[in-house]
Amino acid sequence: MADAADSLVEVAVVGWAHTPMVRHTDRSETELLMEAITAALDPLGLTRADVDFTCLGSCDYITGQAFSFVSNLDAIGAWPPKRDSHVEMDGAWALYEAWLRLQEGDIEIAVVTGSGRSSTGDPALIYPMEMDPYFLAPLGADPLTFAALQARAVIAAGIADERSMAEVAVRSRGRGDVDALLAEDYLRRPLRRHDVPPITDGAAAMVLATGPRARRLTARPAFIAGLDHRTECHYPAFRRLDDSPSTRLAAAAAGLGNGPVEVAELQAAFTHEELLLRHVLRLGDGVTVNPSGGALAANPIMATGLCRIGFAADHVAGGGNRALAHATSGPCLQQNLVCVLEHRS
Amino acid sequence: MSRRPCAVVGVGQTHHKSRRLDVSFGGLVREAVFRALDDAHMTMADIEAVVLGKAPDLFEGVMKPELYLSDALGAVGKPMFRVHTAGSVGGTTAIVAASHVEVGKHRTVLAVAFEKQSEGNAQFALGSGRGASLGAGGAFAPFIRAYIQRSGAPEHIGWKVAVKDRRNALKNPYAHLQIEDISIEKVKASPMMWEPIRFLESCPSSDGACAVVLTDEAGGLAAAADGRPPAWVLGASSRSEPPSFPGRDPVRPAAAVQCAADVYAQAGITDPRRQIDTAELYVPFSWYEPIWLEAFGLADEGEGWRLVDDGTTELGGTLPINPSGGVLSTNPIGASGLLRFAEAANQVRGAAGEHQVDGAKLAIGMAYGANNQYFSTWAVGSSPDPLR
Amino acid sequence: MTRFVESTITFPYKRSLGPLVGAFMTALTERRILGVRHGDQVLVPPMEWDPATGAELAHDLVEVGPAGTVESWTWVPSPSAQHPLRHAFAFALIRLDGATTPLLHAVDAGSPSSLDVGTRVAPRWRGSRVGRIDDIVCFVPGEAPEVEGEDAGPAEEPVTRMDYLASITYTNPVPPATDRAVAATLERRLVGLGCPHCGRVYAGGRGHCPIDAVELGPDCEVELPQTGTVTNFSIVTPVQYPGQTETEPFVRAFVLLDGTDVVLPYSPVVDLPADQVRVGQRVEAVWAASADEGEQGGMGGAWGALAGWRPTGEPDVDDPDLVNRIF
Repeated sequence: MADAADSLVEVAVVGWAHTPMVRHTDRSETELLMEAITAALDPLGLTRADVDFTCLGSCDYITGQAFSFVSNLDAIGAWPPKRDSHVEMDGAWALYEAWLRLQEGDIEIAVVTGSGRSSTGDPALIYPMEMDPYFLAPLGADPLTFAALQARAVIAAGIADERSMAEVAVRSRGRGDVDALLAEDYLRRPLRRHDVPPITDGAAAMVLATGPRARRLTARPAFIAGLDHRTECHYPAFRRLDDSPSTRLAAAAAGLGNGPVEVAELQAAFTHEELLLRHVLRLGDGVTVNPSGGALAANPIMATGLCRIGFAADHVAGGGNRALAHATSGPCLQQNLVCVLEHRS
Repeated sequence: MSRRPCAVVGVGQTHHKSRRLDVSFGGLVREAVFRALDDAHMTMADIEAVVLGKAPDLFEGVMKPELYLSDALGAVGKPMFRVHTAGSVGGTTAIVAASHVEVGKHRTVLAVAFEKQSEGNAQFALGSGRGASLGAGGAFAPFIRAYIQRSGAPEHIGWKVAVKDRRNALKNPYAHLQIEDISIEKVKASPMMWEPIRFLESCPSSDGACAVVLTDEAGGLAAAADGRPPAWVLGASSRSEPPSFPGRDPVRPAAAVQCAADVYAQAGITDPRRQIDTAELYVPFSWYEPIWLEAFGLADEGEGWRLVDDGTTELGGTLPINPSGGVLSTNPIGASGLLRFAEAANQVRGAAGEHQVDGAKLAIGMAYGANNQYFSTWAVGSSPDPLR
Repeated sequence: MTRFVESTITFPYKRSLGPLVGAFMTALTERRILGVRHGDQVLVPPMEWDPATGAELAHDLVEVGPAGTVESWTWVPSPSAQHPLRHAFAFALIRLDGATTPLLHAVDAGSPSSLDVGTRVAPRWRGSRVGRIDDIVCFVPGEAPEVEGEDAGPAEEPVTRMDYLASITYTNPVPPATDRAVAATLERRLVGLGCPHCGRVYAGGRGHCPIDAVELGPDCEVELPQTGTVTNFSIVTPVQYPGQTETEPFVRAFVLLDGTDVVLPYSPVVDLPADQVRVGQRVEAVWAASADEGEQGGMGGAWGALAGWRPTGEPDVDDPDLVNRIF
C-alpha cells in the first residue's frame, strides 16, 4: 500500500448537520437533504455555489424506487452543474469518496450526505435481499437473525453477556433499568427489544474542506488523520462471528494506534456490536463510547455511519484532541470503515 | 495539484449476451475480472482495493450486491466500494478507482461493473415496478426529436449510426449483437418503438461485465517496459444537473459541455476534433452520436450529423466513434459506461484487436445517465503526454 | 394529518445458477446435499471460489449430511412472510456431517427448550422439489430425514435456474406540497409553486426549487392555466412485464401552459390517438372525479384528479422553437 503520509492535501470536517431523527417523517428524502445541507453550510457562511464536489449516499431499496438518488440532485443546487457522485452505501462512504477527491488538490470544498427513510418498509422483508441470492435470500434470512447469531458468538467468547448488553442500551438511550430490561422476553434470543435499534427517518450532510480553507472557515476543524474501510467474506457462517478482522484492518490502516482517542462513535446498531467493536479496537475505559447515543438512540439507515463521523468531529471541534468514528454495512459487520479525526494547530 | 500518474494495465470483459444462463452473478463478474488480471499479468493478490459499479439493484433484485460479491471479487481484507450514478455509473467506477491511485491511497485498484439484465426486466425496473413504464427510449425520444428539428438533420443519420456501430461490432468478438446482414434497409424496416426511434436504432438488453486494472506510475512503466503498453489517464471528470426545471436543455446539457471542458483542460486538449483520435461515447439510441459529438465539442453545434453523414465517424474515418460497436451493440447497463472507458484505453494501448483505430494516441471514453443529467468522461493516452 | 400511500414492488426474478450452484440445486431435488472440497475443508453451501482469497475452486463436490449438528441458533417467535415456516421456529447454523462449515437453515423444533448447541437435526424435504434451498422445508430434531407429502422425485433435467419472488410494500408519506396540489385537483384547479428567488414555477406538487435549493411553502402557490400547447411527445410501444398496465402504444405529451414558462413533461393524453399527436397542438386539461389512479380516476400521485390533456381543436401553434421546450 502507498504511504498515506505521502498525501500533501489535508482534509477536515468543518461542519455538519442532521435533520430531526424521527420514527416517521412526512417529508421527502429530497427535502430532508435540502434542510440538512443548508443547515450544514449556513453557519460556515457558505452557499451551495461554494461547493466544488458533492457525493450522496442512499439506497434504492430503502427508498423503494429505482434511481431514487436522481431527484436528490434537487437538494444540492446542481445548477450550474456540479462535480457530483453517488454511492449506494452509507454516507460515511460518500465521505470516503469526497476525501479521495479533495486530495487531488484542485478543489477545496465538498458536501457529502447520507439519507434514508427506513420507516416506509419492513426491514425484515427488505434486508434479506442483500443476502446471498441463492442460499440465504430465499429463506428470508433477516438482519435480526444474523445479529442474534453474532450476539451468541460474542457472548460465548466472553466479550459480552446479556447484562453488559443491557447496560449498553441504558447508557446509549439514557433511560431504562438494567434489571427491568433483562426481565423482558426475548425478541430473537439472546436479543431483547432494548438490544435492537429503532427505526428512524433522517438525513445528514457534512462539509469537508482542504487544509488552509478549513482553517479559515472554522476555529477548530476536525482533520481526517486517517480513513480506511475493509470488507469480509459475505456468508456469515464462514466467518468467526466473535471477531471483526475488517474493523481491525481498517483501524490499522487509518492509524488508530498512532495515539489515544478520547471519544469513539461506533455504528453499533445492536448492543453486542458495541462490545465486540470495543474489544476489537482495544478501546479502554478511558474512551467515551457513543456520547451521541449511537445507532441505538437513532438509526437513520444510510446516514447512521455518517452521523458517527459528525459526532466524532463535534468532539474535536468542541475542544477535543482526537476521536474515532466507525461505520458498518452488511450482515454481522461484514464491511467496516474507520475514520480518525484530530485537532491540528 | 496533487494528482499522481495513473495507468490502465489490464482490461477484461465477458462475452455479452441477452442471457448468460451459464453463469451465476459471481461467475459473470469473475469472467471479466480474470481477463483483466491476465491482461495485467496480475492475480487477485496484487489488487489493493475494488470499486464496483452497477445500475439500480432492482434490475437483479439483489440489494447492495457488493456485499455478496466481496469474496467473488477477491476483496476480502480490502476496501470494497460501490458507486451508482445511473447510466454513467460505469464511467464513475473507473474515475473513483483512478482517484484511489492518483492520491496515492492505493497502488493497484480493480474497477468492475456488471449488469445481469436477464434476471429481471429493465422496463419494470426503470418504472420501479409500476405500469406504463416509459423505458429509456420513451424518456429520450423527445430529446431526439428536438435535436433533429434544431439541427435539420435528415432522417437517415440515425440509420447510418445504427449500421456503423453494428458493423463495428462484427469486429469485436465480445459484442452482444452480431448482425451480419445489417443494412440501412434493415434498420428502416425495423419496427418503430418510440418515434422517431426504431427497434434497430436501439440498444439491446445484455448480461455482461467489464473489469479494468489501474495502477500507479511505476506499475505503468513496468508494464510498458515489459512490452505491454498501458493507457495513461490524462483527465477525468463528472458533472451532474437536476432532472428538470423550466428551460433545462437536455439536448445540449450544460453538465455534458462542462464535463468535456474539464477533461480537455486536464489533458491539455485544445482542439478536440483534431487532437482526439477516437472516442467511445455512450450511444444507446443511434441519434445520440451526433448529440454527443456536439455537446462534447467534437463537432460544431448543429453539425454533428454531418460527421456521421460523411463517414468521419466510421472505423477508417478521421474520428472513429465507438469502434467497439458501442452501447448500440452491447448494453449490460451498469457496465456499459466502464466498457466505453475500457475500450478507449484499449485503443491507445493498441490492444483493440480487429476494431483498432490505427495509431490511436489519444482517446476519450464517456458515459451518461438519467435524463441526460449525469456525465462521466476520461481522456486516456498512449503516453502521459501524447500531444507533445 | 399526514396521508400515506402504499406501493408494492413485486418481481419474479429468475436467477441463472452457473455450474456449481446448479449442481447443488439439482442434488437437492434428489434429496442429496453437496459441499465443495477446498483442501481439507468441505464448504457447505458450496462456493465457486475460496471465500478468503477469491481463488477459483475445483468443482470437486462431495455429498454431506443429510443429518447434522446445531452449532448456534436463535428463536424466531413471529416469522416474516418470507420465512420458511409460518409458526415459531429456530434459525440455526447447522454443521452437516462431513462438512467443515455450517449452513444456515430453519429448524422446526416446537419450542426453544427442545434445541441446544449440539442438537442433532435432519432435513424435512419438500415433496415436490424444484431445485431451491427451500426444497429443504426446514430441519427437524433427530437423525432421520422426512419428506413432506408425497415424494414427486428428482428433477428430470439438471437445474440451471431458480425463481426468486421479491415483493416489498412501502408506505410512503405524501409531502405537504404534494398533498395541497392533489387537493387542488379535486377542485379542478392546477396549482404550482413559484420560487421567490428565481421566479421559476414548479408544478406537479414539487415543493422545492432545484436551482435555489429552497423549499416552497403554501405562500408560494400560484394558479396555473388549464390550457396549453404540446411542445414534444413520446409514443411508447409497451414492453410486457409483470405489473405492466399497457398493451397498445400510448402517448406522453409535453405541455407548455399558456402564458407561463411551465412545461408538464411526460403527461397522459385523452381522446388523442397516438398517430395524431403533434408538436404545436392545442390542448386542455381533463379532470376525473377521483384523485386515485385507475379507470375512473386521474393520473394519481402528485397529479391527482388530472386525467390528462385533450385536443381543443384550435389551430396549431407554429413556432420552430417549441420542440425544445422539453422541461
